[in-house]
Amino acid sequence: MSSPDVHELTLSPITAHSFNGDRTKLAVCPNDTNVHIYNTSSNNWSIEATLKDHDKVVTGIDFAPNSNRIVTCSQDRNAYVWTQENGVWKPALVLLRINRAATYVRWSPNEDKFAVASGARAISVCYFDEDNDWWGSKHIKKPIRSTVLSVDWHPNNVLLASGSADMKARVFSAFIKGVDKKPAPTVWGDKLPFNTLCGEFQSNRGGWVHSVAFSPSGDVLAFAGHDSSINIAYPSADGNPTVVTVVTPSLPYLSLIWANDRQIVAAGHDCAPVLFETSDNQDWHLTGSLDENKKKTSISTSVLSRFKTMDSRGSSDNDTDLNTIHQNTILQVRPYSGSPDQVAQFSTAGVDGKIVIWDFDPSRVAKDLSSLRV
Amino acid sequence: MAFRRIDIDQYDEDIYTEEEILADAESGRSIDEINSVVDARATDVRNLLTRGNNSDALTKSLEDPPYGRNLESAKAKNIKTVVDVLNQFRANDIPTAIKGLNLDQQDVLMKYLYAALSKPEQFNSGMILNWHEKLTEVAGPGSIVRVMTDKRTVF
Repeated sequence: MSSPDVHELTLSPITAHSFNGDRTKLAVCPNDTNVHIYNTSSNNWSIEATLKDHDKVVTGIDFAPNSNRIVTCSQDRNAYVWTQENGVWKPALVLLRINRAATYVRWSPNEDKFAVASGARAISVCYFDEDNDWWGSKHIKKPIRSTVLSVDWHPNNVLLASGSADMKARVFSAFIKGVDKKPAPTVWGDKLPFNTLCGEFQSNRGGWVHSVAFSPSGDVLAFAGHDSSINIAYPSADGNPTVVTVVTPSLPYLSLIWANDRQIVAAGHDCAPVLFETSDNQDWHLTGSLDENKKKTSISTSVLSRFKTMDSRGSSDNDTDLNTIHQNTILQVRPYSGSPDQVAQFSTAGVDGKIVIWDFDPSRVAKDLSSLRV
Repeated sequence: MAFRRIDIDQYDEDIYTEEEILADAESGRSIDEINSVVDARATDVRNLLTRGNNSDALTKSLEDPPYGRNLESAKAKNIKTVVDVLNQFRANDIPTAIKGLNLDQQDVLMKYLYAALSKPEQFNSGMILNWHEKLTEVAGPGSIVRVMTDKRTVF
């Protein structure tokens, strides 16, 4: 497989994508009410099933790697859990009890709960209710003041980070009695009843928080905001967390993941994934772009020369391709292979309808980019 | 379709208002205090300019900008202080002046450029656009995005 591995699936934006555990299937929403399941075991990806029960745009998809269930959520304020029976995907409705669109969904690490973010200023933490035989939910509401745009689970299956349009990233307890056992104390606290606010962080430059991610250990939280910066928050017992802000000259990032505990990959409106690094966990910096695709840019792009070619050849230079693999905003970055603390490959999905799988070799990346640095 | 014209947010008791967001951005200092700080800085900057120390005058003028609500006069005065400094630079000196600023100062300068551009009757937009072009080359579109997201506005 060549790297990066580019798959042009649709012409419409890919609002959400998720691979299954062994990466032989891919669930994708092409900005409409359907979810397409692709068979990705051969190099030629083909649609093998379509999930059609939503009646507004699907905003979130998550494939549970071990239990092979898919959860989807949509602007129709519903979420479904899909299970495959005899080759057919069967939906089960989830009682979200929200009155605005659902925006984002993620399975917890143990796959016994999932969190649905929504415009109703709430996060529905959903769990299977054995007595009633359906998926019920509990709401995290306070102190969220606006739409929740993303969530991320802590590896301990209890803590949940959220990023919302009130410009704050928060860490909550999503402890469900009967589902979870009492978790071991972490840096985020030791007493964790449901809806405990364990941390609240803000970049003082404002901007919606588009994406949040716990570090592989779960001890650090990174978030990306619409202020074109990423922030890394280190909690502390005395209530004075350290927040490191990395201000960048590029357009805002919409999604970020930890590749390992010292490297973060972020992507967004600049159409290329970029790498942030730290050597000492105090000083973070933007290392550079991971998109090595260097299209031959013609040097003669001056207005004068453009008019000259128009004059001599009667045509203008119609090359409008961007110098990156993705030709439009990248909406989502997700780990593809490797372990959470050592991501070896990651996938990106963009407004250009492409899914791209990138190799990530931390040592090689650092070397290549250091030679590029001026 | 009449129902679509109803402002449903007015029925929301817990609505997140612009007022609340702006209150968050306030420094907590009194208006008089901020006014006197702005006046003192204007004097300092003028002294630096008369001594011909343009680059120090620029960094001084970008220090501690007045943020928050109900500060129209302080904000207007501070914009004038900054633009007076910008006026002193020759076009060729602008890139060097910008390189002497740190990232935060560059972001503040970008805010003041947009503030000045919003009052074309008062300030020379041609000169401001010249600064804007040079600043964007260094600070990138990210700096422009931050002018829009930052609730600590300068005008």
